[in-house]
Amino acid sequence: MLLKFYKIRGHSLHPDFKDGDYVLAAGFPLPINKIRVGDVIVFHQPGLGTLIKRVQTVLNGGSAFDVRGTQINSTDSRDYGPVTREAIKGKVIWHIHKP
Amino acid sequence: MFHKLTQKIDNHLHFDHVDAHCDIPCGIYDPHQAIIGALTVIRMVDLIDDFVKTHDKVETAEFINSMSRYVAVKEEHAELTKHEIRVIWGDFMKTPHTEEYPQLNELVHKIMQLGSKARQSVDRETSVALLQAVNEFAEIFWQIKGIKTKRVKAPYSVSEEIVVPEL
Repeated sequence: MLLKFYKIRGHSLHPDFKDGDYVLAAGFPLPINKIRVGDVIVFHQPGLGTLIKRVQTVLNGGSAFDVRGTQINSTDSRDYGPVTREAIKGKVIWHIHKP
Repeated sequence: MFHKLTQKIDNHLHFDHVDAHCDIPCGIYDPHQAIIGALTVIRMVDLIDDFVKTHDKVETAEFINSMSRYVAVKEEHAELTKHEIRVIWGDFMKTPHTEEYPQLNELVHKIMQLGSKARQSVDRETSVALLQAVNEFAEIFWQIKGIKTKRVKAPYSVSEEIVVPEL
């Protein structure tokens, strides 16, 4: 699906993204929807499900991405390594904040 | 406005969740063991008190053995209570929770201190205060989870009030 809404569950991107916020993610094929440092991506991580994190480093010309949460104990690339391009479901293009 | 509108659409279409996990996302947390720990501390204080009152000879091997066991269990369960609270506070609770419940950090510190005091002493008042503070923590924990709680009399040898979720 090219555009998809997701509801955020958890606090690892707090305070940028909060539990209960909605995001719209665009799954347009690269390079139209090129992912850059600072972008927030939705991806599948085996064993953990569908996750959301911010890109800290673009690796190997864009074939993999080092992702991070904002919390000291966020589960991110420090635990499961880089996220491959194939695992990415979309890039967040609209963030709807919970009031 | 957008959030309200999106929420309404979500109620009908059921959007997928995307997880922003911290720690190992096991999602299994419960203050019940902390409550059991605090109840056990009270029970051990009661047993120690009764044991001293009913035994004239305190220098027998039997007395020393039983008393040592009561004290060891009291030590262990006071520490268990502190451990369980530390894990929930450190791993489950996040900045938004401490913002929503500004008393939370102070309450956890109080539990740590009462747990230590319960180990140092055989004072029933201290051990009951430990349980009350843990109950307060449990109420906040279940509120965060969106689950109602009630206070019931513990169905054990110690019948103090404990907080349980209405599941």
